[in-house]
Amino acid sequence: MTATLRYELRMQLRRPAMWAVTAVTLVLLWLLIGPELPMLLREPARIAMIRTIIFCDVPLPIGFAFLIADRLVRDGRTGVAAILDATPTAGWRRLIGKYLGCVTATGLPIVAVYFGIAVAYAARNSAPQALLWTLAMFGAITLPALLFVGALALSVPLAAPPAVFRVLFVGYWIWTSYLVPPRLVPTLSQTVVDPVGGYPIQVFFGYHGGHAGSGGPSDWAGPVPGAVFNVVRPTPNQATAWLSIGILLGLSVLCLSFAQLARERRAQ
Amino acid sequence: MNLVALLRYDARRVGRWLLLAPVLLTAAVAAGGALVARSPHDGTVPHALLFAVEMAIPLAAGVGVASAVGRDPAVELQLTMPVAYRITVFRRCALTAAASCLVAIAVCGALVVTGWWARWPRTHGVLLGQLTWVAPVCWLAGLGLAAGAALRSPAAAAAVAAAPWLADQVLPDQVQAHHWSRLLYLFATTEGRDADWEPNRLVLLGSSVALVTVAWILLGRPERLLGGEAE
Repeated sequence: MTATLRYELRMQLRRPAMWAVTAVTLVLLWLLIGPELPMLLREPARIAMIRTIIFCDVPLPIGFAFLIADRLVRDGRTGVAAILDATPTAGWRRLIGKYLGCVTATGLPIVAVYFGIAVAYAARNSAPQALLWTLAMFGAITLPALLFVGALALSVPLAAPPAVFRVLFVGYWIWTSYLVPPRLVPTLSQTVVDPVGGYPIQVFFGYHGGHAGSGGPSDWAGPVPGAVFNVVRPTPNQATAWLSIGILLGLSVLCLSFAQLARERRAQ
Repeated sequence: MNLVALLRYDARRVGRWLLLAPVLLTAAVAAGGALVARSPHDGTVPHALLFAVEMAIPLAAGVGVASAVGRDPAVELQLTMPVAYRITVFRRCALTAAASCLVAIAVCGALVVTGWWARWPRTHGVLLGQLTWVAPVCWLAGLGLAAGAALRSPAAAAAVAAAPWLADQVLPDQVQAHHWSRLLYLFATTEGRDADWEPNRLVLLGSSVALVTVAWILLGRPERLLGGEAE
């Protein structure tokens, strides 16, 4: 498993497409965060770092999913899946190695962006606590989301081609994000299955502020009067925030189980 | 091989899932509208369909076309054929974009027949109003094709095609704050300012011709096509 992980990590890091996608998402991110950066650097550390995470939550996971989408199906298309299945690291161990390897490699630019901004903040304001806030926020908000998106991007293309997955994923990600108001549209935003992490944002980090383009304060989790899917919007508290993270991790395991089943069925 | 047989083969090569992607996205948006509609006559579903025509269908065309380059396992063989490879790629891209166009025409037709098209406050008539979807479909498909030809990686090309769509979704006010970026704003009908609608649609159409020309030139260099990233 470690060998598969190492190989997948190195392969993804040396893949030109990865850096092309990173460049595109960085340009997009600069458009998003650039005008806000001077104001962001003057905010208290906790607010500045949570706003950075929220800014990055829409564009970065999309590039991340695009890059992982072809990793598992490629083995079948290049005709090496059967050979790899005959090796001692076949089955679950290879799947987990591949999953962790490509999630780690593809997630590295995202980590670099977060911690790059945190280092800039800490240096400008002499506030090293910004690094600790970023670490905590990355672990509670971004990491579960990336693990879920990575599992989804590996498994869905086994049922529908990567190109179709990419089209549908953009729609899905926008639909579940804070850009779609739950009052007007039936969305998973602000639910416990919201991969953007509304519950940890609100409960663990006490953030009720706005997001890009919203201006005013807003809720990130919990019931919305008159909205559809309020049944999966329990009152935000410690238990529901942990539940939200647990659900994302559970869904990741479910996606990987589906991927393994699909691969076994194809091999038969 | 006659043209019909050729197109049928290309449709299989593109894949039925990719051809169905605009239908799936439109159905998802319409279902969302139906879930919040208070009554069948309150206009929520037609409203949602108009958003699908300008936002969801062009996304399917852009990301779908971006995946057309780099999917052939034996480009070397394709390059030896009497028909230039770029014609084959263009035919497959046209098929992918045509699937989006057919869905858009069907949805617009339904809106016109039921009278909801004319009730839209920013209506531009039945004929001129078709630029609602024609302009973003052409622009995103052109961008996807040019990116696919330049990068030869479906993942990277799809990211390039999706990036301006995302920027317009996330930052509608910032994109519309400048005259030059307003002219390239993809959602001018549903989210834009009336005064700039026609210039915006014309600029999108004009620049899509430029993008397709760039793709045509890049795909005409066989040495560039070898060594791309297969998917």
